[in-house]
Amino acid sequence: MRRKLPSLVVAVLVALATAGVATAGNGGFAPVAPASPNATHIQSAYYLILGFTAAIFILVEALLVIFIVKYRSRGRSRAVEGAQVHGHTRLELIWTAFPVVILAIIAGFVFYELPNIKSAPAAANPIHITVEGHQYYWQFDYTDSRTHARSIGTLHVPAGAVVDLKVVSPDVIHSWWIPALGGKIQAIPGRTNHTWFQAKPGSYDGQCAQLCGVFHASMLATVQAGSQLSYLHYLATWQDTIGKQIWNGVCATCHGNLGQGGYGPAIANNSLLTHPVALSGIVHNGVTGTQGAMPPVGDTWTPEEFKALASYVRKNIYKPAGATSGG
Amino acid sequence: MAARSEAAYPVGWKNGRVASWLVTVDHKRIGILYIATSLVWFVAGGILALLMRAQLATPNETFLTKNSYNEVMTMHGTTMIFLVVIPILAGFANFLVPLMIGARDMAFPRLNALSYWLFVLGGIVLWLSWFSKGGAAHAGWWSYPTLSENFPWTSPGHGQDYWILSIHILSLSSLLGAINFIVTIHNMRAPGMTWMRMPLFVWAIETYAIVLLVALPALSAAVTLLLLDRTVGTHFFIPSQGGSIVLYQHMFWFFGHPEVYVMVLPVFGMISEILPVFSRKPIFGYKAIAFSTIAIAFFSMLVWAHHMFTTGLPVGLDSFFMLSSMIIAVPTGIKIFNWLATTWRGNLIFDTPMLFALGFIALFTMGGLSGIFLAAFPVDWQLNDSYYVVAHFHYVLFGGSAFGFFGGLYYWWPKMFGRMLDERLGKWHFWLLFVGFNLTFLPQHMLGLLGMVRRVYTYHHGGIWEVYNLISSIGSGVMAVATLVFLVNVWRTNFLRKGIRAGNDPWLADTLEWYTTSPPPPHNFDSVPYVTSARPLRDLRRRLAEQPQ
Repeated sequence: MRRKLPSLVVAVLVALATAGVATAGNGGFAPVAPASPNATHIQSAYYLILGFTAAIFILVEALLVIFIVKYRSRGRSRAVEGAQVHGHTRLELIWTAFPVVILAIIAGFVFYELPNIKSAPAAANPIHITVEGHQYYWQFDYTDSRTHARSIGTLHVPAGAVVDLKVVSPDVIHSWWIPALGGKIQAIPGRTNHTWFQAKPGSYDGQCAQLCGVFHASMLATVQAGSQLSYLHYLATWQDTIGKQIWNGVCATCHGNLGQGGYGPAIANNSLLTHPVALSGIVHNGVTGTQGAMPPVGDTWTPEEFKALASYVRKNIYKPAGATSGG
Repeated sequence: MAARSEAAYPVGWKNGRVASWLVTVDHKRIGILYIATSLVWFVAGGILALLMRAQLATPNETFLTKNSYNEVMTMHGTTMIFLVVIPILAGFANFLVPLMIGARDMAFPRLNALSYWLFVLGGIVLWLSWFSKGGAAHAGWWSYPTLSENFPWTSPGHGQDYWILSIHILSLSSLLGAINFIVTIHNMRAPGMTWMRMPLFVWAIETYAIVLLVALPALSAAVTLLLLDRTVGTHFFIPSQGGSIVLYQHMFWFFGHPEVYVMVLPVFGMISEILPVFSRKPIFGYKAIAFSTIAIAFFSMLVWAHHMFTTGLPVGLDSFFMLSSMIIAVPTGIKIFNWLATTWRGNLIFDTPMLFALGFIALFTMGGLSGIFLAAFPVDWQLNDSYYVVAHFHYVLFGGSAFGFFGGLYYWWPKMFGRMLDERLGKWHFWLLFVGFNLTFLPQHMLGLLGMVRRVYTYHHGGIWEVYNLISSIGSGVMAVATLVFLVNVWRTNFLRKGIRAGNDPWLADTLEWYTTSPPPPHNFDSVPYVTSARPLRDLRRRLAEQPQ
């Protein structure tokens, strides 16, 4: 029984692996279903490597199990020696050369696919977005728009358009990753990185992949790839919702959805919410008090955004102390 | 002879049961101290891992969140790497190298003791950081700036400073140890023991020590600059004032990747000792294994930026580091196939050391192959910083290093203490650990591909995410039980003295450490036979068998 267990384990592993390939991307046996050409080409490279590595894996584990079964002691004494074989130069050269060939094929295929992954296809009107990783939210600037537009947490783009992303960070390293839309790129303070995607219609989730501090796990991002019309609609109306977006995407992470407090203090009753100038100061510069620190979450925001935030919190979050709730 | 060695400690109190361990400069005792201390940290680091798996068992849990999770995660990684794997291998090297080469002790016994006590000090400093202002370091074991810088919203307080101090102390300890090993191996081999007759474990320690010498200074420099940034207001790594974060990444990984091989080369050496003995065969292709060790060590210093594929390096650099990383797979593959061939037509005896060695091959192969995906840089753009990477390096560092050193413990335990660990408990230990390990880490490959990033204290998806995470957490519990079985085994063998007494050479092994008594006397050998091959003990057994009665 003891000797059969490893072969059983291997059989289960192999069954799982082949089942995974058969279901193509379901269950986590391949990267999530691609919705952008770069992700598709990464997927092909993944499958090629999976093919070779799975074959080598099965070869090694099968030989291991076969040798374990075939050459087991069967009660022979420890003093009985096995075949005193010291090596076999030709055989050893074969298993040196054979991986070299496989690796050369893999590397060749990676270089073949690379242009499709690294560079966006030439498009008449690529859309330019600046992605700013920030403790602890993603901010998107729509730099093509005649009037500047911005969103927090959700990026709105037209499906099928080539989207060119400029990825930056003002504070710590973050890493931009929407699995369905291609690989990661770090947002590094002091550097500007680039990536791109061309999304099929749909909504795609991702999150910051590089440890960026206490709320790393909350730094989610969504890409909404909809119609050209809804994209233009967002650009025209972004100022109507930006206050709410900021509250939900930035403030609520620490202070709770209703300002009831969480990691940060409760602020729903704080009259500061009714003083736009003081509020802007705190949000823009951060707090370094003895009670704990608040990062300068709004150090790249415009006056319009502070205004939108101030008006949103005054209307929707602020509850004067003593006021009865409900009613 | 034994009586004379006590004269080395003329002062009475130094011969006490505890004091004799505190003042010892005997490489065997220092080796045992290293191993025992590392096992204590192994339990501590393992408890941290269990806390994390408890938090991640189901979505949106609140058991251990935010900064507490980040502290536990950082301390788990730092502890397992710097206080468990590296020092336990240093412990094996201390105990075994002089015995294997037929020497009286290490070249510099006092320096050796200093290495050990610096390791103890480094561990204490690291764990004291829990009590420092602001808690323990929580920027991950890489401590990338600017998260590790002294801003109010990154890493204020002193946890990060303790971390840096501890890394400095531990680096010094490793550096002194490395020099000691190199000098010992070069100068103190038994008569007749040429380089090509040296045990493969000694080959591994030679390369391990050289890699440490080359790689550690980069780490020391990086954390020194970080310390200056944090304490005296320099800005080496603060971009807003002209510093460069990517510079830190280069410095860290110039150390960090060779470090991986520091943690696995000595284990390769152990496997190359254990497999032949329990296959009753010579190692298949001694030279190929020795030279592939050197090749791995050399290339390990040329692959560091494969940890940085997502920092936006130029395509030329990405390509170079992909090719160099893939090249490492070749000598590693040579080892795997040579080990397999070692079992071919053998008389395989499945004692616990052999189970761990075979388990090592099964699991390390998985870790090596998953690494090829990460070397192909566009695929790494998908997998980097996800749970796939967590799974990959645990297959290398636990399935590889830890299975290897457990095998080593069962194999050399009789030499260290004169008693065999219990075989029944040993087999329970192996099977529980093997099953628990795969339950824990196999599903993490899938989680990473599904999009779960590493170092998050929670996730919001139910369904298959929850299933995989739950399996993983259950597996971690099974591994904990396995470790308890091992500790019971140690307790039973050494403290209840129920372990079977071992003779000089209970496994009918090949190398010189089995020539002396178990445990060896303080001076190791009364005499050392002239070494005529890589298997001096087998030669001796054959010569004895051929002698006319």
